[in-house]
Order: sequence, then C-alpha cells, then structure tokens
Amino acid sequence: MRDRAGPAGAAVTVAEPERPAFDAIVVGAGPAGSAAALELARAGRSVALIERGPFPGSKNVYGGVVYGRVLDELIPGWYERMPVQRWITRRQTMLLSGERSMTVDFRCQSWGRAPYNGATAYRAEFDNWLTEHAQKEGALLVPSTVVTAVLRTAEGRVVGVRTDRPDGDLTARVVIACDGVNSFVAKQAGLYPEGQAEHTTLGVKETLALPKETIDERFGVSGDDGVDIEILGGTQGVPGGAFLYTNRDTLSVGLVLGLPGLAGQGRRPEEILAELKRHPSIAPLVRGAELVEYSAHLIPEGGYHSMPRLVGDGLLVAGDAAAMCLAAGIWLEGVNFALGSGMYAGRAAARALAAGDLRRLRDYRSLLESSFVLADHKKLRKAPGLVLSERVQHRYPGLVCDLVEGVFTVDNPKPKPGIRRLLRRSARSNGVRMRELARDALTGLRSFG
Amino acid sequence: MGELLVVVALRWADGRARVDPLTGEVETDPRGAGAGEADRCALEHGLRIAGAAGGRCVAVTVAPPQAEEMLRDALACGADAVLRVDVPEWDPRLADSGSGTAQALAQAVRAEFGEPGLVLTGDHSADRGTGSTPAFLAARFGYAQALGLVELAYADGALTAVRRLDRGRRERLAVPLPAVCSVEPAGVRLRRAGLPATLAARTADVPTVPGAVAGEPVTVHAARPYRPRAKELPPPPEPDPRLRLLRLTGAHEQRDPPRVVVTDDPGEAADELLGYLKAKGYLA
Ligand SMILES: Cc1cc2nc3c(=O)[nH]c(=O)nc-3n(C[C@H](O)[C@H](O)[C@H](O)COP(=O)(O)OP(=O)(O)OC[C@H]3O[C@@H](n4cnc5c(N)ncnc54)[C@H](O)[C@@H]3O)c2cc1C
Repeated sequence: MRDRAGPAGAAVTVAEPERPAFDAIVVGAGPAGSAAALELARAGRSVALIERGPFPGSKNVYGGVVYGRVLDELIPGWYERMPVQRWITRRQTMLLSGERSMTVDFRCQSWGRAPYNGATAYRAEFDNWLTEHAQKEGALLVPSTVVTAVLRTAEGRVVGVRTDRPDGDLTARVVIACDGVNSFVAKQAGLYPEGQAEHTTLGVKETLALPKETIDERFGVSGDDGVDIEILGGTQGVPGGAFLYTNRDTLSVGLVLGLPGLAGQGRRPEEILAELKRHPSIAPLVRGAELVEYSAHLIPEGGYHSMPRLVGDGLLVAGDAAAMCLAAGIWLEGVNFALGSGMYAGRAAARALAAGDLRRLRDYRSLLESSFVLADHKKLRKAPGLVLSERVQHRYPGLVCDLVEGVFTVDNPKPKPGIRRLLRRSARSNGVRMRELARDALTGLRSFG
Repeated sequence: MGELLVVVALRWADGRARVDPLTGEVETDPRGAGAGEADRCALEHGLRIAGAAGGRCVAVTVAPPQAEEMLRDALACGADAVLRVDVPEWDPRLADSGSGTAQALAQAVRAEFGEPGLVLTGDHSADRGTGSTPAFLAARFGYAQALGLVELAYADGALTAVRRLDRGRRERLAVPLPAVCSVEPAGVRLRRAGLPATLAARTADVPTVPGAVAGEPVTVHAARPYRPRAKELPPPPEPDPRLRLLRLTGAHEQRDPPRVVVTDDPGEAADELLGYLKAKGYLA
C-alpha cells in the first residue's frame, strides 16, 4: 500500500508576494474550515474559504452524530437553528460475537432538551449551515475549486495556494489546512511523518430509508429523539468497528475498517457490511429499508501519536488534516474535534495577524493543549492501539458473550456455575490470559478513566 | 447590423431530484441545483459566438433567488451581464410552462437589453424536459428557430448549425439571424472559469426583475391514460388454430439469433458495439 496517496506534485516556489490577496486562505469547507473562517472573519480579517465540492458538505461522509457543545462558544444558541435529524437520547454499545450480542443500553431524556448533547445531522445540511455563518461574517466561499499545491517562498514560508482554475494562484499571509484526512497541503508543507496508512481506517456507510414511524417503533423512541449504537465485532475479523444511527426517516449503518487488516484479508467492505446487516441483532432493525446512498471515506484514527506538526511557517493544520479524529471504541468523534481545532486555528491566526507577527501562530498549539482537543487526545493516546488490538477486536467480544451466555443458560439439573469459574472458562476458550486481561483493564482504565 | 446581442436562457433545475416511492412527492435540493449539461453547452456557444462577433453575451433565467449562484458562475465564465426573472410565488404559468417562461423571458430581455440577435438554450431542461421553451421563445420574438443542434458556428456574420438525423446522418443548416437555437449537450464543454473572475463573481450583484405573465394559465381538468381506439384486423388465413397462433406470435420466423458477447477487454467491447452499429446503419 502506498502511504503517499492524493494528488501528486510538490509545493511551488514563488517570490514573496508584495500584497497578499487575503489575510488568510482556509482550504476545505468542512467543520474545521468553516470554524476557522468564521473565527477569522469575525476578527475582521479577509478570508477565502476554498472548497472542492460544489457546496460545503457535498463531498463529505461521516456516520452521523455531531456533539455540538463546542459550538456554544462559536455559535451561541446553535441548537435552536442547527439542521438536526434527531437528538440522541439513547446510546448503546453492542458487542457482537458470532450470532450473539451483548448490549449496554443507556437512555437519557434530558439529552433531548436544551442545551442538548449529540444529534444526528446530514453533512450536506450541517456543513452548509456552518459555512453560511462564516459567509455572513464576511468570509468568501470559493466552491468547485480544488487546491492543487502550496505556494512557498524560497525560504519555505507558505504564502498561498495554487488551484485547479486557470490563473489559479491565490496569495495570503496565512494558510490554514482543513482539507481533511490525507491532507496533501500539510504533506506538501512537510509537516507529516511517513507511514500514515497504518493509522488510517476506511469508513463505509449505507443510508437506508424507512418511514419515521417504523424507525420510532423499532428503536423505541418518538418525536425528535434518536439512537446511537456503537458496535464492536461484526467486522468479520478485520480490525475496526461498526455503527448504526437513526436519522429522521433514514438509518446510517456503517463500518470502520483498519486499512492494513482489510488489505490483508482481501475482503470487500460492502460484503462485510452486508454480513453485518444479516446479523440477528441488526437484521430486524434494518429490514425492508431502501438503500438510498452508499459512501466511503478514510478516517485518520491514529490519534495523538500520528498527528503531524501542527504549525508550519505561515501554515496551520486543523481537523482531520491534523489527524484529530478521536476514534476510541465507544467514541467516534471527529466533527467536534474539527470544530474545536478549526476555531483555535482561526483564533491563533487572527491574533498573529493583528500583532503583525506570524511567529505567534505557535499559540495555536497552546490553545489546543489547554482545550479538550489535545487534552482528550493526549489522555486517550493509547486507546486507538488498544481498541484495534487483536484481543479487543476478536477475543473480548467472544469472552463477554461466553460469560453472559454461561450466566443466563439454565443447565438444570446441574447447579449454576460461579461467575469466577465462568470467567476463567470463557477466558480460556477465547485464548485470553488473565494476566493480559488485567493489563488491558489497567490500560483501559488509565486511558478512559 | 449593430453589436450582436446573444442571450443565453438557463433553466435552474435539480438534476438529482428524488421521488418518494410511497407518496410520489418530488424532493429537490436547491444546493445541488444548477444549469443542466445542455444549458451549459448553450452558454459556451453563446460566449464563443459573442466573442467571434465582437458582441455581448448575457445569461438570463426565470428562477427563485437560489439560482443566483448559477448566474454568478455564468459571470465568472465570461458573460457580460446576467438577469434573474423572479418567480413571485408558485405560479404555474411560469414554473411549469414553456410558454409562460418564454413570455416572461422575452419581456424581461427586451426591457433590460433590447432586441437580441441570437437566443440560445439547451434542448431540454434537466427536470421537465419537454423542450418547448425555445420554440415558444422563437414565437414570442418572431424569430427563426433551429432546435436540437449538435454544432453551432459563427463566421463572417453567418450562423451555421448541424442537427442529428436518423441513421447517423447529419443536417447542415444556415440559420438566418435573428434566431432562437437550442443545443444538445454535445460538441462543446463550458469553459472553466479563471480564479480572479470567480472571486469577482462571488460578490457580484445579480439584477432581478419580477416575472410578468399575462393570460390564464393552462389548466388540466382531467388526465386519462392514452387509449387508442381498437383497430379490427383480419385473422391469419390458416385454418389450424395452432398455425394461426404461430403466425400471430411470429414464433417460427427467421431472425438474427442473439449474440452473447463475453469480454472484459474494453477495446474489444467497443469494437463489438461499433461493428453492430455499423451493421445496423447507424454509422457511416
Ligand atoms: C464513515 C465515517 C463515520 C464517521 N462518524 C462520525 C460521527 O458519527 N461523529 C463524528 O463526530 N465524526 C465522525 N466521523 C469523522 C468526521 O467525519 C471527521 O472527523 C470530520 O468530518 C473532520 O472534519 P474536517 O473539517 O477536518 O474534514 P472534512 O469533513 O473531511 O472536510 C474537508 C473538506 O475539505 C475539502 N477539501 C479536501 N481537499 C481539498 C482540496 N484540495 N481543495 C479544496 N477543498 C478540499 C473537502 O471537500 C471537505 O469539504 C466519521 C467519519 C467517517 C468516514
């Protein structure tokens, strides 16, 4: 597998522009890009937001849950106006092993009232809505335009971008790369280390249409309430996970698959997804639904250790472009980290521009460190490795299901076995040593605790 | 003749509208809407012809405010001016009728730009696609019309066009000006707008005039499926019912057996298709 995918080519060396066309150029109108552009425009800076799609969100894929708390700072009262499908009031974590499943089901009705927690939303609507805020503050959205190269001076300072349009060079004092996973803006600027493929997973998703009433009945919700199910197992042995979310009258069901594992097995992701939909715990939920969309996208899942340098000369990197998606088993959160990092990138850039000192771009890192963005990533730095480990992926779901099966199987006239004995037996039959279990429990506790 | 005014009429439509299988309701998304491929070709022809004639090319549409993006794109590509004719509300005379659209367009164009030398459109709009608007436009302006063209060229004050005929033949036309022409999505591609023009167009004002249509809208009182009158045919002459049946179904007639072609080589597959089309007289 090649590590350096994406448009070929290198940064273009140019002379220092006399009068840059903009204070800042933001590449990519995803959540990170719009947050950065909004923050800069609010600070009175001229900013161009360049997006390759015909409108923001048109090219974007994700599972479907946005945790909008960080928007309190960026767009106060956001929950009154954000284009929401359903507010998540029920969260399940499901372990699949063979035909069995074990689910932890949590319901919280207050998540369905202001100030809310998480919501399903369509990216085409959500991204566009965010960009409109940036545009209202004066950011200039340039859609249907692909950034193809970074413009640098001979000294290596980033001074703009080249686009795929005729006469397509655009200059600025600061460039913020929010171009998502596999950011070639950051790569061209030399901020990425080699070997990103192993830290990247493939997300595939089907959007399935069902009448709203059917979704309400099957998932035990009503009105605007919705359900988020995160699934461990169900990936046919490829390291990863699965998810199932409710929108108003569609479901999002998908997989997150480790690239090396997927390539090694030679399986097609859509086959694995079809298997998941046939699982006895999933099939009744998706039965009779009409497929309206299939999409696929890469996810930078490596976390803290796989992040690039976040600050270059005249350049900041935010969101998935900086590998800031948090993928830690029970959490799959990228949008809120993109919003947060984009906002801080915009803020740092605005301050540096106001001070006339681009060295102050370095403040970006400290803003991130003092916020959830790097604090969470740092705390959970071992989580991706643990979650994608062979034990968590294959052996523990089997162990848990064996254990629960043992507890609830009535084997009269035999007496009920003790739980400790059951645990030892389940561990042995799934090839788990008690010592490993204790070590992983400790790592888990340290990461998640 | 003075400066040639080329008017390109663009239809704003969602090319990916979804029909709800249960209710039959059509869901459109204004974010993905814009000019269809044929209209984009019309704009390219308009820009080229205006360039060759040293004239002006203007882009117009009858559409709601969301269509301003489409007109800004036209400006970025080089249109000298744009005009949006506003659809006040859901007025069936404008929204769904070629004749209403043509009436509103003709009136607005005359008022804003004067008499055009050439009016261009796509052959069919991406949503309703009856292709009647250009014909109604020709009637409104009282111009010659040449519709469904695959080529259009302007040289030395003369406009020539090519139209597709059956069996792969082509018809060459000398189009007298002033004229209304509609083009197929073929032959040319809309140019990619340069970055400086795109940036300038993003904040350009799009002039808007209200759409005015006189007269009653066409109303459909009842719609029934087409049921042609039954025609009486004499039965086949054979006395045996089995033979009559065979004759009626044509079961024993000689015909080309179907050929199953199994190849995963794109070159071979293309040769196969071309051979077939040639054998059937579609390619010269
Ligand atoms: C299957 C799947 C499920 C997920 N589920 C969830 C979830 O439920 N909740 C959650 O919070 N996160 C989820 N994520 C992660 C989330 O989607 C990302 O972390 C988030 O979108 C990152 O935002 P961003 O702005 O950094 O990048 P993106 O959203 O990828 O935006 C990048 C933008 O840049 C544009 N762009 C890229 N290159 C160029 C270029 N060269 N020139 C111009 N424009 C360019 C793109 O078109 C795009 O608009 C999921 C991801 C996947 C793939």
